Amino acid sequence: MKKMRGQHITSGNAQKCRWLRWYFFLLLACVLFPTASHAYAGPGAGFAVLSSFWALFVPFLYSFYALVTWPFRQLFRFFRRRNVYGKATFERAVILGFDGMDPELADRFMKEGRLPNLAKLREKGTFSKLRTTFPPISPVAWSTFMTGVNPGKHNIYDFLARNTNNYLPYLSSAEIKGPKRHIKIGKYSIPFGKTEIKAMRKGTPFWHWLGNAGIFSSVIRVPVTFPPEKFQGVLLSGMCVPDLKGSQGTFCLCTTRTSNDKFREGGVRVPIERKNGVYRSYVPGPDNPLVEKAGELRVDFEISPEARSKSARFVFGSEKFTLKLGEYSEWIPAQFKAGMGVTAHGICRFYLKELSPEIEVYVTPVNIDPGRPDLPISHPVTYSIYLAKLYGPYATLGLAEDTWALNEHVLDDDAFLAQAYGNHEDRERMLFDALDKTRQGLCTCVFDTTDRVQHMFWRYLEEDHPAVRDVPQSQKRLVIQDLYERMDRLIGRVMEKIDDDTLLMVISDHGFKSFARCMNLNAWLHQNGYLTLKDGKSESGDWFEDVDWSRTRAYTMGLNGLYLNIKGREKQGIVDRSEAEALKKELQKKLNGLVDPASGKVGVTGVFITDAVYRGPYAENAPDLLVGYGAGYRASWDSVMGKVTGQIFEDNIKAWSGDHCIDPRLVPGVLFSSHRFVEEEPAIVDVAPTILKLFGLTLPSHFDGKPWTLAAQKNS
Amino acid sequence: MAVARHGVAIAAFKFLLLISPLAIVVVLSVVVGSLMVVLFGYTSDQKAIAITKDQVKAHLLAVRLYRDQIPVVMSSYGKILRGTGRYLKLSFKPLLWVIVPITLLMVQVDRYLGAAPLPPNLPFLLTVHLTGQTSDALNDVTLVLPPEIAMTAPPVHVPAENAIVWRLVASKEGKYDVKIAAAGQSAAKTVRVGSDLARISTVRLRGQFWERMFSSAEPALPENFPVDSISINYPDRDIEIAGYGMNWIWPFFILSMVAGFIFKEIRGIRI
Repeated sequence: MKKMRGQHITSGNAQKCRWLRWYFFLLLACVLFPTASHAYAGPGAGFAVLSSFWALFVPFLYSFYALVTWPFRQLFRFFRRRNVYGKATFERAVILGFDGMDPELADRFMKEGRLPNLAKLREKGTFSKLRTTFPPISPVAWSTFMTGVNPGKHNIYDFLARNTNNYLPYLSSAEIKGPKRHIKIGKYSIPFGKTEIKAMRKGTPFWHWLGNAGIFSSVIRVPVTFPPEKFQGVLLSGMCVPDLKGSQGTFCLCTTRTSNDKFREGGVRVPIERKNGVYRSYVPGPDNPLVEKAGELRVDFEISPEARSKSARFVFGSEKFTLKLGEYSEWIPAQFKAGMGVTAHGICRFYLKELSPEIEVYVTPVNIDPGRPDLPISHPVTYSIYLAKLYGPYATLGLAEDTWALNEHVLDDDAFLAQAYGNHEDRERMLFDALDKTRQGLCTCVFDTTDRVQHMFWRYLEEDHPAVRDVPQSQKRLVIQDLYERMDRLIGRVMEKIDDDTLLMVISDHGFKSFARCMNLNAWLHQNGYLTLKDGKSESGDWFEDVDWSRTRAYTMGLNGLYLNIKGREKQGIVDRSEAEALKKELQKKLNGLVDPASGKVGVTGVFITDAVYRGPYAENAPDLLVGYGAGYRASWDSVMGKVTGQIFEDNIKAWSGDHCIDPRLVPGVLFSSHRFVEEEPAIVDVAPTILKLFGLTLPSHFDGKPWTLAAQKNS
Repeated sequence: MAVARHGVAIAAFKFLLLISPLAIVVVLSVVVGSLMVVLFGYTSDQKAIAITKDQVKAHLLAVRLYRDQIPVVMSSYGKILRGTGRYLKLSFKPLLWVIVPITLLMVQVDRYLGAAPLPPNLPFLLTVHLTGQTSDALNDVTLVLPPEIAMTAPPVHVPAENAIVWRLVASKEGKYDVKIAAAGQSAAKTVRVGSDLARISTVRLRGQFWERMFSSAEPALPENFPVDSISINYPDRDIEIAGYGMNWIWPFFILSMVAGFIFKEIRGIRI
């Protein structure tokens, strides 16, 4: 039997060989006979010739232009640069931002010998705590980092700000408005004009000052840089870039399980239906921009499970791929067609979560496609395209690591980490490309993996954290230690790329503490007579659904802000401005030192009246008070969303188990540098003036930060 | 079923022949352009081509993004050259598969569209090349004409090329055979007279398999016949587009490219 099969194979191969021989014989004849040379000009050859010609000709033109104009441009810049680099202490500054890197943990791991590269920086240069902002929230702190001013001058106080007309929240960093005018054709309402994206963050990032002086900057994923602004350099926006739906990240769980439960936030459940042996579902996208009330656009997909190989084959639009159980897909293009040639371009990843007894597929939020961005996510627009062409598609969403999915148990620890580190590796590639391209000037990149992983895995650092109280010690993982070691290796590779003419700074915007207990500040306000519910209500739904504003003097939403319901400012305000100061002091006095009766620990360690903290033209938009929670405490999930509950303190049992939105004095960031700075109490607000000073530029007078002095400069 | 399909295809082609040469070129270009894209898609490493083209585009963008930094520009240009080389290498294999069928197809199409039949009452030349022999052999060659074709001048002997040239004229449209006799043997050469679209063979050859395959539409001359080739100077056929006459290959080239580029977008094939 074997022999026969072998014979058959031999015979098949021989036949194939004969075919191939004939084919190549014919081919040779085609090539050798000049009488038919015109035949080679067919489409096949034409495509290759045209494409190659295009690929060569266009860069040639660019290069020619660049070369011819280079002397003139260099001459023009020479005089400007001579001044800049003549006074500059360094040719290049590299700033690595590790969002949320904690100085105490870093110190501990260095002492344990786990972070050799950071230890080298400590020995050779600087290691210090870095004072953060009030409040210590990433968009606030990074805005201060880039502008060198306090929040009163850059207008970012939280992720959310409140609308004084209706007490509803809006994203504090950017406002996206569709075109104002529409042309109606039948059922279609065709937008006329551009989508308007308004930056809410004020102030000027320090790379603009550098650019004005002719210094090039590469800025990657620094938070609150959406929408990207024009300057001399390249920039890829980070935190606050929305997904294609316009949200800050809405994942999708496609499932055959029937459930009426809704995710608290950040995700939607989509049914998988079985028809004719094929499972079908869809990925929801943005609302149809052409037809009013038409609902969201969708991209359908099919799943064909293969039980034996524990995998499933997916057909998603024109893409076909197979996933094993517990495996992520690559980034898959998702095209949401609205009709009339209008298409929204996104990318998403699929994760095969379960195959039996039910089928469940997790789909990441649909990110804006960096290769075909429907909204500008970089400056220039071509920079995001450049990175996508060079390294393939990558996450563009501001909060790309899907913490909500882990909180809601849609993803497990491993799936979350795989996603987070996948994004992290993409950013490492971007950083090293920027380092290669930016030999002079500024190169800065912020990694948010440090923040997200600490938020989600702090629970394993503490034996009695409510989120892992029942998990045996032996099963608790060393995720955060691994994270710090990974970051240290990254620094090691960066150090290999730089010389003594480069200043390397590693900074974080804040540190980290446990988040074991939640405090519902609205509940406290309610129980203490500052917030009143409508008659007959003992609790309120989200966003103050059942609050009686005519009898409410104070309320909170977001992470640290406490607002008075001031007459003339809030639409239904009742607090007279003349009474406001007294009320602020009263609240400050009562809240400061508030003890959690269950644990006996202080839940609030500081309450700050913002008039004393913020100065600047936008200070009036700030909350009236900032609540600094104690270590282990934070605003409850409900309180953040303007909900009033019956209980003030409760356990936090979510995977999101570490936090920093507390008393800013408890969570300073970290500062490492390759050259020693002489500074007793460096603050994040000082980074911008320090960089400008090191490049020899005059500091703008409105800066709140003070430049640091290098030890070498002080000695000389 | 297959026979029926074949019949339909032939009928369609004949229908096109009746319409105009331009219609044939258009239809052929669209069909060939699309088919070639599919063939290219199947025979190429699509993923590698996509990555290579993206890399080239990225370096192209780098030239623009970092235009003030000459080292970056020069390095990007070098990477573009390398990427283009890699792309050509990746395109070479599918091109090998594409060239053969398209060449054979174009040879066949060229027999219909490359030359026009002889117009009646206009003189044309019939040239006979003999095998390398003495000039006496030229005297030994005779021509036998059908009644519809007449000789308008005595034959011209060209000893340097070992050839005889006759100047002839056809009085009526049709397909005729002229006979050439030499060394006691004879062979015929088809002559097409008229204005319709016909399969035209400009030359009949002896031996020379590959030359015959690409240039002649007639059977080979007998093996021991002392003539190498018999040729007729048919006029070139021009395809009229917007008042300009051109060889069919040019509109075919352009239209097949356009069709291919459109089809590749529809099918998502990277070329």
